[in-house]
Amino acid sequence: MNFRFDLIAEYAPFFLQGTLLTIGLSLAGILIGTVLGLFIGLGKIVQNKLIAFPFTLYITFFRGTPLLVQIFLVHFGLVPFLFGETNAILAGIVALSLNSAAYIAEIFRAGIQSIDRGQMEAARSLGMSNVQAMRHVILPQAFKRMIPPLGNEFIVLLKDSSLLAVITAPEIMYWGRAMAGQYYKVWEPYLTAAFIYLILTISLTFVLNRLERRLKTD
Amino acid sequence: MIKVENLKKSFGDNEVLKDINLSIEPQEVVVVIGPSGSGKSTLLRCINLLESITDGHILIEGTDITDKKNDINKMRQEVGMVFQHFNLFPHKTVIQNLMLAPTKVRKVSAEAARNKGIELLRKVGLEEKADAYPSSLSGGQKQRVAIARALAMEPKIMLFDEPTSALDPEVVGEVLEVMKQLAKEGMTMVVVTHEMGFAREVGDRVIFMDGGYIVEENEPKQLFESPQQERTKAFLSKVL
Repeated sequence: MNFRFDLIAEYAPFFLQGTLLTIGLSLAGILIGTVLGLFIGLGKIVQNKLIAFPFTLYITFFRGTPLLVQIFLVHFGLVPFLFGETNAILAGIVALSLNSAAYIAEIFRAGIQSIDRGQMEAARSLGMSNVQAMRHVILPQAFKRMIPPLGNEFIVLLKDSSLLAVITAPEIMYWGRAMAGQYYKVWEPYLTAAFIYLILTISLTFVLNRLERRLKTD
Repeated sequence: MIKVENLKKSFGDNEVLKDINLSIEPQEVVVVIGPSGSGKSTLLRCINLLESITDGHILIEGTDITDKKNDINKMRQEVGMVFQHFNLFPHKTVIQNLMLAPTKVRKVSAEAARNKGIELLRKVGLEEKADAYPSSLSGGQKQRVAIARALAMEPKIMLFDEPTSALDPEVVGEVLEVMKQLAKEGMTMVVVTHEMGFAREVGDRVIFMDGGYIVEENEPKQLFESPQQERTKAFLSKVL
């Protein structure tokens, strides 16, 4: 087998662009997904079943259907419907955000519900409102417990962004496919893509581990 | 000060409180005893509305707290509660535990809350632990901090839900000592406990509960030495 490093070198600028876009797409997905996820997670734990229902439905849909299907629905359906024409990058951000929001909502819900009931009772018995107790007592403790599962979700999201290649968002995998198509090569483009993803996930894991250690109080 | 009228509380089909009538005067120390499952903790939690009430009324200083129009948060500021498992906030230091509710709820300045907090810690003998986290404290110390935290809101009534049940025997005394001191200062207190010595020594009145009813109530001396009801006699013969 003749492994062509020169072809990889030729495609390096494209892979660099792709990497930047992958990072951008993932960051946007994580940020929007976290904000949405917090609201959806809080919505799901509301006592009133009627209010909680739509949030439960949202989570069920986005966790129960493949991300690829959701990407197609957003790219060919939602985005053209809202803006008249589609845009792969916009559709990619929307699809990743909506999808990760469902998973992050469950992480928030689990984090909040893992806090001992006595904490809420103690806060309320001191005269704090439900919102005050959530903000000052429950959420700060829940956040700390949510960092490991949130970190996992971020890594999954980063890897899943490769699916956006099929709607021609020019991220890492898109350029891998382009290179494969141009030279009829398999190992060079796809191993390069895999290598870049690995670098990204290892870096992210490192950052998350440091964050987790820094937030430990005792 | 506290008036409980025809209070009923059910969890599903399980009726835990069947018909409770009770009146507590200012500065009175009422000790509630009884076998587990008798409803004594539930009664205490109802007085603070930590449990919703199935039927009946609870009046605190004339205000019906079961009336939805009345602000529960406001009412809870006047009623301090101490839990069996302390429920200190583990992400905050001892002094921050004491300052949180006064600054956020009563809108006291941080400085005033801190001064008050230090004063209370001195009172429970833990001034030097102000900047420690709860995880570094012993059970007895945690419970004393919990008492100080409740007092930081300057409540008119203090409720104690089995405050020494989760403690090692050798530290029970230090917590009871703080409670005794509080009683001496004239705090209105309702204490659910298995500490019969404390009930006898500190209580103005002892209430014996069983099966969701108040079976008997009397001054400690009478209740412990000449109980009138068979169930009271049977219970006391086992615990004394």
